[in-house]
Amino acid sequence: MTMRNTLQSGAIPGARFVDPVVLARIGNLELVARSVVDGFINGMHRSPYFGASVDFAEHRGYTPGDDIRRVDWKLFARTDRFYVKEYEADSNSNFAVLLDVSKSMGFGSAGITKLDYAKILTGCLTYMVHRQRDRVGLVTFDSAIVEHVPPSAKHMETVLHVLERSQPSKAGELRAPLHKLAEHFGRRGVLVLVSDLYEDPEVVFDAVSRLRFRGHDLIVFHVLDPAEIDFPYDEASAFQDLESGEQIPIVPEALKAKYRELVRAHIDALTTKFAELRIDYALLNTAQPLDHALFNYLSMRERISRVR
Amino acid sequence: MGFVAPLLLGALAVLAIPVLLHLIQREKKRVVEFPSLMFLRRIPYQSVRRRRIRHWALLMLRLAALALIVAAFARPFFRRDTLAAAAQQGARETVILVDNSYSMEYGSRWTRAQAAARDAINGLSAGDRASLVLFSSGAEVAVRSTSDRGRLTSALAAASVGPGATRFAPALKLAGSLLAESPLPRREVVLISDFQRRGWEQTPGRDDVRLPDKTVVTPVAVGDASSVNLSVTPVTLQRTRFENQDRVTVSGGVANHSASAARVTLSLDLNGQQIQSLPASVEPNGTASVTFAPFTIASRNMRATVRLPADALARDNVFHFVVSPGEPVRTVVVSRPGAERESLYLLRALSIGDTPRVEITERTSETLSDNDLRLAGVVILNDVPVADTLADRLARFVISGGGLLFSSGPHASWPATRADVLPGLPAQIVDRTSGASARLGALEYSHPVFELFRAPRSGDFSSARFYGYRAIDKPVAQVLARYDEGTPALMDRKAGEGRVLLWTSTIDLGWNDLPLKPVFLPFVHTLVRYLSDYAEAPSSQMVGQIVPAPRTSRATTSRGATIALAPSGARLTLGGEDGAIELAEQGFYEVRTQGAGPDSAIVLASNVDLTESDLTAMDPRELVAAVIGRPAAGPNGFAEPRPTEEAQAQAQRLWWYLLVAGGLLLAAETLLSNRLTGVS
Repeated sequence: MTMRNTLQSGAIPGARFVDPVVLARIGNLELVARSVVDGFINGMHRSPYFGASVDFAEHRGYTPGDDIRRVDWKLFARTDRFYVKEYEADSNSNFAVLLDVSKSMGFGSAGITKLDYAKILTGCLTYMVHRQRDRVGLVTFDSAIVEHVPPSAKHMETVLHVLERSQPSKAGELRAPLHKLAEHFGRRGVLVLVSDLYEDPEVVFDAVSRLRFRGHDLIVFHVLDPAEIDFPYDEASAFQDLESGEQIPIVPEALKAKYRELVRAHIDALTTKFAELRIDYALLNTAQPLDHALFNYLSMRERISRVR
Repeated sequence: MGFVAPLLLGALAVLAIPVLLHLIQREKKRVVEFPSLMFLRRIPYQSVRRRRIRHWALLMLRLAALALIVAAFARPFFRRDTLAAAAQQGARETVILVDNSYSMEYGSRWTRAQAAARDAINGLSAGDRASLVLFSSGAEVAVRSTSDRGRLTSALAAASVGPGATRFAPALKLAGSLLAESPLPRREVVLISDFQRRGWEQTPGRDDVRLPDKTVVTPVAVGDASSVNLSVTPVTLQRTRFENQDRVTVSGGVANHSASAARVTLSLDLNGQQIQSLPASVEPNGTASVTFAPFTIASRNMRATVRLPADALARDNVFHFVVSPGEPVRTVVVSRPGAERESLYLLRALSIGDTPRVEITERTSETLSDNDLRLAGVVILNDVPVADTLADRLARFVISGGGLLFSSGPHASWPATRADVLPGLPAQIVDRTSGASARLGALEYSHPVFELFRAPRSGDFSSARFYGYRAIDKPVAQVLARYDEGTPALMDRKAGEGRVLLWTSTIDLGWNDLPLKPVFLPFVHTLVRYLSDYAEAPSSQMVGQIVPAPRTSRATTSRGATIALAPSGARLTLGGEDGAIELAEQGFYEVRTQGAGPDSAIVLASNVDLTESDLTAMDPRELVAAVIGRPAAGPNGFAEPRPTEEAQAQAQRLWWYLLVAGGLLLAAETLLSNRLTGVS
């Protein structure tokens, strides 16, 4: 089952879903995040922990230079050999959200804009990760990096503050800011890209692949408005590009099917390519409850953990 | 080219709807903001282009056919130059109307008006005739229909601004009559004015103003784009009586006819001397009022003026009025000797009130002197038997203008020899003490005596009971009230210059209880006011009013010619008391009767019409349209002559051709449509 099908199937037993439009009316992003995350965690009935440093991974033979405090003395007693314990993670991981704040993210036909939806999503994820005592950071970008909050255990408030004041203002581009970020994030961590990905799939891959190749765990949330997926327009109108301001006359009846086909092809290409790059990709429809996004996120993390 | 029914051309808009829709959707389309046109741009452009019109020829044929039919229904016609030229040929009768109301004194309006009139005179061709009419409240022909430009020019030069207010209707009516008398084929009215809106809106009978057919009205506006003017407002006088002297409190006001606030000082002049001045602040387009301290009216005909500092329009900055001590109505109440107490209620009622104040003299039939009658305005005979000599004296009193109330109780009598004075002679007594008492039935509410009681709950006469009254022999006068069985209760007769009222019961308690009823007091006051012909003299008049020569006192023996001295010093002879004065100037008129002494002089205050102070102008075309009965369609507000019906019919024949052409086009469209359908 593809991720998109998972989203569209909707029902998750025991989960409580909150209408994104309702969430958008709550001004306090922290409150929103807490409401969504706590409700979600209670509904899941399973531990959402991931990347925890207490998880045992394997034993490795002692080599000179290893800290002797990591020697497993019980095993030495049984085998008379020195082994050191390897753990899944030996420290709190870095977590950063790369949030697209280009003008196209300001579009919303379902009562909430994509950017607002993405903000709530980011807030929730950050809050949740913060509760794991991981370091949280945030980067907002359009054609360049707009705001940068380095990952830190103390930056939760800052992240939320930056999120709240982020507004779409410029045209967007993926390649330049993401390449720059790839250079910037020296320490490996979990990176979540939230964008509407209005680029050719090849450009998108080129942009994100460097992040992936630097060893980051990359999760891509593709946020789209239902109008962008379904194209529900009927009247002949001039369609204006939110970013470039360009207008072209459109008779929706004539090209609705073709448009949907192109969007589907785009999503399919992204899905395929991201799978090849072992990048987790999820399409988020802003008309659907945010809990879906969190569920997908945790499912992916769970799978990543298993794979690792 | 024009159209008889141009409104129908609106139907052409229907033709434009499909084209407009196409254009609107194409050029002024609805804009939908969309995040990215990335996918839409990839779709081949051909698929987003709207449908095109394939058969342009067919569309144009249909549109043309419909347009022709619509145009045909709109009845087009050509304004043929020949017709217009024919209407413009021939000599011209011109009436030049020049506004000389006092608002023309503002700025250089009068100079501009004279210049415009001179232009009109100089524009006359040989054979043209012109009349010069000066108008304000009324209209005056300065020069009647002449081709002599010199006369017209000199009359114009001699003209000046008067104190009247602008009224267009009389001038236009006069112009209409002047034009109607003219045999010349072309008629024109040149209307030179500042076109004050109030001059047209407040003109009575303006709807009746119509000029003859084919009259061209040329308005020439000489007003200013903006104006600032302050004017006084009419004063109100509050009279009080203090230690047997009349005092008056004057409230004056100032009106601001401009868009800026002003602070001014109003002064009150009395007999030419300023006695008080008060400051007043007046808002833009507002009014303010001040109340001066009361002053005693020391003498008759005190000339008072409320004055503002002079501005661009000075005439409306003064308001003249006259104050005199209130004149009492001298009334002699005559009783039978020894029966003076029977007039108690009457005397008490008459002694109350001050509008007018009644000065009562009590006499008996034996003590009534000729001097009493000479000074009296009203004589009331309360159940008095009148002997022949007394009847003669009373008759003379009445004929000379006095008022007589004859109350006929059980003792009253009047000699038949003087029956020419009384409305009827008292006859037998009608006793209503047994059975139901009489009540007043029919009252003549339209008569001044009962008019006060006309409205509902304004006095109930039917509650009074009458136990006795006198029947009337030979009633010869108007019956104002009757008892319930039809006998007259009150009768009115004019005798000479005076009046006689006959009350057939007692006027005091005796035969009725009317004096105990609330209506008694106003009733006897009304009787006295009516008999004395009392009317409160207005404190001021308006320029243009025609005022009857004021009545001199009955005590004045002289009946010589009446002379009026105008404010400018001109003397007007009115030719006796029947004459009238037309107040043509602003200021104080002094009217005196020759040989009557200076005390008999009466002063009238004449003021300009203060509505003229509002200099707001109207659009001259509005006035022209109202006068000629159709919109002023010509250039510069000129009204154009109407063509004849025959010429109209000739000029409008085009519609028939258009209709046929439209039909032919529709036929062609059918053929083409069928052919194209077959092809497709």
